[in-house]
Amino acid sequence: MSRIKLGRLMLVVALVLSLSSAAVLAQNVEITILNSKGEIQTQLEEIARYYTSITDGVSVEVIAAGVGQSPFERAVALYASGNAPALLMLDAGDVLLFEDRALALNDEKWVADAIANSLDMATHADGRILAFPATVEGYGFIYNKPVLDNAVGGEFDPKTINTFDSLRQLFEQVAGSGKDALVIAPEDWSLGAHFFALAYAAQSADFATINEFQAGLKNGTVRLAENAAANGLMDTFDLMKEYNYDRLDPLAGLYDRGTELIGEGEVGIWFMGNWAWPQINDFDKADGQYGFLPVPISNNPADLGNTQIPVGVTKYFIVDGEQNSAAQQQAAKDFLNWLVYDPEGQRRFVVDANIIPAFKNITITPADPLAASILDYVQAERTMNFVLNLPPDHWAQVGASMQKYLGGFIDRATFFQEVEAYWQGL
Amino acid sequence: MATEKRFSDKLKTYLLFAGPTTFVFLTVIILPFLFGIYLTLTNWDGIAKTYTFVRLDNYLTVFKDPVFWNSFLLTVRYVLYTVVIVNTLGFILAYALTGNNVRGQNLLRTGFFIPNLIGGIILGLVWKFIFSTVLVFIGRSLDISALSYSWVANPNKVLWTLIIVSVWQYSGYMMIIFIAGLSNIPRDLIEAATIDGASGFNRLRSIVLPLMVPSFIVTVFLTIQRGFMVYDVNLALTDGGPFKSSELISMHVYKKAFLAQQYGVGQSQAFLLFVLVAAISLTQVYFTKKLEVEA
Repeated sequence: MSRIKLGRLMLVVALVLSLSSAAVLAQNVEITILNSKGEIQTQLEEIARYYTSITDGVSVEVIAAGVGQSPFERAVALYASGNAPALLMLDAGDVLLFEDRALALNDEKWVADAIANSLDMATHADGRILAFPATVEGYGFIYNKPVLDNAVGGEFDPKTINTFDSLRQLFEQVAGSGKDALVIAPEDWSLGAHFFALAYAAQSADFATINEFQAGLKNGTVRLAENAAANGLMDTFDLMKEYNYDRLDPLAGLYDRGTELIGEGEVGIWFMGNWAWPQINDFDKADGQYGFLPVPISNNPADLGNTQIPVGVTKYFIVDGEQNSAAQQQAAKDFLNWLVYDPEGQRRFVVDANIIPAFKNITITPADPLAASILDYVQAERTMNFVLNLPPDHWAQVGASMQKYLGGFIDRATFFQEVEAYWQGL
Repeated sequence: MATEKRFSDKLKTYLLFAGPTTFVFLTVIILPFLFGIYLTLTNWDGIAKTYTFVRLDNYLTVFKDPVFWNSFLLTVRYVLYTVVIVNTLGFILAYALTGNNVRGQNLLRTGFFIPNLIGGIILGLVWKFIFSTVLVFIGRSLDISALSYSWVANPNKVLWTLIIVSVWQYSGYMMIIFIAGLSNIPRDLIEAATIDGASGFNRLRSIVLPLMVPSFIVTVFLTIQRGFMVYDVNLALTDGGPFKSSELISMHVYKKAFLAQQYGVGQSQAFLLFVLVAAISLTQVYFTKKLEVEA
């Protein structure tokens, strides 16, 4: 008798529980964002808290990809556990790998407002737009203006650096003023994914030609030793090695120390991108006077790359179309729209998190000087392709070869051979 | 009938006590392991919904990949050095700290054991700072040429930074196991030997060391296995650099599977690594077991 009673009781409890949980679901939509830009984790969490507080029943939570963990790997693990976030911030090159999982976003309003070419890496061959361009980034020579002002004796004009020789002269002047001209971050991702990628970007302003160049490397028809841009870039790298702060021990440098050296004005120039601003800001002794110089690769100012810096969308959000409910997917889309169209969303995303937005309708700009410098280049149309469609281990493999060259372990011919061998081995 | 009942009773008892563990072991270790072997036969990239079978192509790629074998040989060197140094040092520490006349034994034991309690990532970062900044500063100030350049940035010395940190990390742990072993040696044996006139060295060689073989089986097994599987210190201290000259095998496998997005190839490497490490460890246990003696 008591057993039957117990069974009934349990049934009733189960029924009540299922009812109440259904009711909770209808009211409350919880979405999760995977963030892979560690430097904005706090800001993004703050944005999520604010968004949760202003919406009725939508709560947003931010999870981070671990330090040194690739966002791809984190996303793969989350998918494999059946626990995919509604929004995943991915590296540009990885977006299309998620073709089976990501929701097509062609009907979203922001598609029309996205800046030119910002959706290239997110558009599938079948026409589906799979991702939201999360941030524009650029890189080049970051300069500390007071150091350079002091070196050139007067107001330094970044436009004067448009050839190999003018760069050499600037390095000499800085060295003459008692400081080191620049510091090279020896990290493989910086050397492989950013520095050597300039050799691809400088082939043409047209993305299709860059792709052809990559295809030529794959099938072995391109010889880097005969390529003017590749050789010019390595000439510049030789010059950088000569004036490197760490020239005695070139592989010993650390990214973090680079932020300190440039911020405190120990060196005039550092090869890096605008993502370094939060750290540079910690050491800033130049009153925020920083900007970008192009990396010149020849003595003709008209050559591509001598007056342009690479700028592109490096991170995209995909909306999961598989493991989240329709309500969650809608909430994720609404959140993206809020970032683009709501003044408060814009302000928090652009100003608080220092994001250069990829949308024409957003007129406010981040307060940091590196982002401002990139926007100057964009407005002056002095940008080139940030080549992001490289094979996934390109940065590590070519970066390792660049490190050997930086440390003086191999000569240029061997370096080119190693890079060609990498491409042909794909 | 009687045996049948006894078997079901046994099964019941087994399920009662070991059932949950067996279930977890099956689902968390065995199933993923088998599924992993299955994946080595495909060209899956980790996320796509479709993949094709490539039969044994992945294994062929691995066998023909010189980078994999270089990394494996590097790991073997690393393991050899760490196993020898960690066990020697651990034993010396334990032997020195079990005597009757050492003051502050417990404090010293704690001190040597503490590095093992710090996570590998933190250890790596701390030592990276020591190797690339502190030692270089000392070297340049005192004009010691061997220290004037960062060891972490030197492809010929970077392996030794990993070995030094691992030795620092594991010697104390092995010391604890040795101390446990040493205190299990019957005192009467030592006393008898002393009365018979055995010198300290002879006591160590003929009595202590043979009786310590069970401890050595455990510590050598642990150091070999940890050496082959090391990842966190490798990541935080050198990240495989400069130019992959310190990329140990676990890191190579991880990068192949997740960064190069060649899941099938990476999984094949991992399986091969499993076979090799299992073979090495079992051989070690088999041969050292033969050295065991009865007290």
